[in-house]
Amino acid sequence: MSAAPAPPRLARALLRLAVPDDAGAAVEGDLHELFVAHRAESGAAAAALWYWVETLSFAMRFTLDRAARAVRGLVVGDAAPSSLDLKLGARLLAKSPGLAIVGGLGMAVAIALGAGAYAFVNTYFYPELPLAEGDRVVAIGKFDKRLRWKDKRLLHDFLVWRRELRTVVDLGASRTVQRNIGTAVGEGPAEPITLAEMTASGFRLARVPAFRGRTLAEDDERPGAPPVIVIGYDVWRSRYADDPSVIGREVRIGRDVHTVVGVMPPGFAFPINHQYWIPLRAASRAAAPGAGPELHVFGRLARGATREAAQEELSALGRRLAAEGPPALATLEPRVIPYVDVVVNGEVDGSSAAMAVLRFLIALLLVVVALNVAVLVYARTVTRTGEIAVRTALGASRARIVAQLFAEAFVLSALSAAVGLGMVAVALDMMDQFIDEVSGGRAPFWIDPGLSLGTVLYALGLAVLSAVIIGALPALRATGAQLRAAIGSLGSGAKARLGKTWTVLIVAQVAIAVAVLPAAIRQAGQMVRAAYREPGFASGEYLSTQFVVQRDADAVTDARADSAAADSLLAIADALLARLATEPGVVGATVTSGSPWEGGGSPVEADGVDRPPQRVGSLDVDTGYFGLFDVRTIAGRRFTAADAALPAGDRPVIVNRSFVTEVLDGGEPIGRRVRYRGEDGAVNPWHVVVGVVEDFPVGLPQPGETSSARMFHLAVPGELGGGLLTIRLRAGIPEAFTPTLRRIATSVDPMLQLSPPRSLYAVYRDNARTGVRVALVIALITGSVLLLSAAGIHALMSFTVNDRRREIGIRSALGAPPRRILASVLTRATRQLALGVGIGLAAAVAVDQASGGVLLEGAGVLLIPGTAALMLAVGLLAAAGPARRGLRVQPTESLRTE
Amino acid sequence: MTHHGLGEFEQLVLLAIAHLRGEAYGIPIVEEIERRTGRSVARAAVYVTLRRLEDKGLVSSWMSDPTPERGGKGRRYVRLEAEGARALREARHATERMWQGLDPASLRAR
Repeated sequence: MSAAPAPPRLARALLRLAVPDDAGAAVEGDLHELFVAHRAESGAAAAALWYWVETLSFAMRFTLDRAARAVRGLVVGDAAPSSLDLKLGARLLAKSPGLAIVGGLGMAVAIALGAGAYAFVNTYFYPELPLAEGDRVVAIGKFDKRLRWKDKRLLHDFLVWRRELRTVVDLGASRTVQRNIGTAVGEGPAEPITLAEMTASGFRLARVPAFRGRTLAEDDERPGAPPVIVIGYDVWRSRYADDPSVIGREVRIGRDVHTVVGVMPPGFAFPINHQYWIPLRAASRAAAPGAGPELHVFGRLARGATREAAQEELSALGRRLAAEGPPALATLEPRVIPYVDVVVNGEVDGSSAAMAVLRFLIALLLVVVALNVAVLVYARTVTRTGEIAVRTALGASRARIVAQLFAEAFVLSALSAAVGLGMVAVALDMMDQFIDEVSGGRAPFWIDPGLSLGTVLYALGLAVLSAVIIGALPALRATGAQLRAAIGSLGSGAKARLGKTWTVLIVAQVAIAVAVLPAAIRQAGQMVRAAYREPGFASGEYLSTQFVVQRDADAVTDARADSAAADSLLAIADALLARLATEPGVVGATVTSGSPWEGGGSPVEADGVDRPPQRVGSLDVDTGYFGLFDVRTIAGRRFTAADAALPAGDRPVIVNRSFVTEVLDGGEPIGRRVRYRGEDGAVNPWHVVVGVVEDFPVGLPQPGETSSARMFHLAVPGELGGGLLTIRLRAGIPEAFTPTLRRIATSVDPMLQLSPPRSLYAVYRDNARTGVRVALVIALITGSVLLLSAAGIHALMSFTVNDRRREIGIRSALGAPPRRILASVLTRATRQLALGVGIGLAAAVAVDQASGGVLLEGAGVLLIPGTAALMLAVGLLAAAGPARRGLRVQPTESLRTE
Repeated sequence: MTHHGLGEFEQLVLLAIAHLRGEAYGIPIVEEIERRTGRSVARAAVYVTLRRLEDKGLVSSWMSDPTPERGGKGRRYVRLEAEGARALREARHATERMWQGLDPASLRAR
């Protein structure tokens, strides 16, 4: 006869976890009885399914019941926590600083991640527009079927919308242009600024009056009206030193002279982040559909109109316009979107689902950490079962005791929340700086990256949640069935057990640490190493600046057509380089597509080499690049003027030493044909290799790159319309050359714009510093995982040793050697450690392989076993203290306490 | 003396226990309610309710010896306590008083 049929093991385990001890056995027995009957009646599979459904139903109802009881315990009058409880909690924390530091730090990191994500999402994805009735301000754009922002050449549509839309008022448009300011003689060197060409309605929509003078008026938009400009408060202070007589002053912007007519109040930067406004002469240009400048269209919902109503009216209008316009644009749909959505890459509503998932994951992380800390606290709470039993006997209600333990936990979690909020504040500040760096200080005016009240409240909520998990839940358990047993055995030493939950937690924790640590150590280590490595060449001699030649062929304000076509860009770049060459103190100058460290990465294959395409960084350089950086040529030649005369597609390429070993398998490079291979397998034209240079700069590959291989293309300065201009100087601080450089640039062309010049050394250091920050965050998170694992193992061992004092005492009284006793005490911890490390190892290898080796970059052979050994060592160290305490147990003493 | 306002489901469970006399535990309680009311009952809800009723002192319980056909677990038998019986009577009286003198016409659908 076969063994008696048993319900699914996993379901039973879940049932045991979910149903409280006092009801557990009866529920399990009843379900077992019914399961046997079901099985006999409808077969094994149906019975198992039935058992699972029942288990889930029980798990859900009992979990809800527990939560309800916990809440009731807190709300019921006398049970509410008092300030005395908080004081007691603080004192208890001071008594166990280890628990406070380990648990507190772990929770602080988790709360920081949760609150940080909340702050980030709300600051950057769901900000509020700080304008009067800002939620009624909308943007109008054209989107394709996948809700991607398409075709911003809206002049034609804008004019129709402005004339006909009834649900949206104060309809306006703007566009952002770059111009040099103050290029006239006597106004100092030209400085690039960002202007808004905006219709006067923009000021009306914002409902912000001018601080001095007036805002733009409809009259300023007339063709032939005198050019005027409104400036921002910050500009007024910095450029005009608070001069009250600024109104009426003239300022040269690009090629035109504008009269200052107004100063806007502090904080005003509509439409995005602007400090200069000139009129947009929309009506003066008749544009065909889909032609004209790219515009940003905005308006305010009319009184009583909803966004849905506006959308309906706009759609109807859109259908009519689509019929008139070119068929290519007919598939695009005009949409009314909340104004703050304009900068989120034009994605409408698409990000909310992803954000919800992110929030969920972060909440999950918090729950995991809090559960962890809960187990730590639980280990301590059960040791206090005796105290709790005495208090219960003296008349304290269960709710009162739960409330007290909740208050104690809240002291810890509130401290963690404070530390976590500090971390968030630092992170937001870093984020702000980072965004300023990458966007050139142009974050939208509604982005306020400071700690908001909402974020603080959110963190407080997380602290309460954590306190419920770490205080109330263990307290409920400790005051449940175990308490009854403890009261029954008062005076004979209360006992409590740490069950399977604990084992699962420790194993999971160790596994996660082993799985995550190798990659974290590798990536963090690389970033730190990169940060402290010297760039390997005299980067302090080089000054670099991003330059752009603005073409305003489509400018609305410029009535005359701009003659600067592609040829003139070449001429401008040429003239600039020629002027720089004659400057004393300048060794030379070069124009590239990026800094020497930038690489990008596209798969490249070589003719006659039988291996899959390798990822290679590429850079566009001019003929002077290698000479200017003293890069040694190993084979073949450098680029020549004759190469530059060829059409861009036919020009040869130069590769570096790593390219030869990695892509060409060490084969003969000169004359070899190489080409890019698209991600989709698309084939590109061949390029011939004419030279090989030494790997430059040292410090390749950069963190996150797998290869140091580089391929250099020849580009003629000016071909790209801009690029990175790098100048090598003979002596002194490179930045000191800036005024001279600006003067030269202005003299070459007033439309030539330079980003703030910086020495290559500073560029290098900034890259490195970002790496160190990221490494710090990684270290903090992995460190707290490691710490929590160690603390968990430590608590487990302390517990085991306490539990077995009597047994250890008897065994040593009977003469058992200490080593045997130690081994038997350590067995459980070792087993859990080994299991965790095993699972973690497998996961680490799997993760590395899934990443295609990018995560560990081949260092896994050393790092993975190393991490495993480290985890074992940390675990055994954490276990050693309590185990030694166990060995010191005096037989007489332990027996006396019984 | 404490006053227990019983919920409808609590009344059903208490009445089932009373009907079953000494033979009340989880399975027969569920069956009794389903048989008499003709509606299906979430089993877990009955157990959660039993636990709550015991906390309130309306019922008491004891475990029987474990048996192999129950996977080595015993049955938790439930007995109606005096307080529970009183709560049931009170609930019945309250309902009856509400029905007293009610004009049947006022229940007719309009």
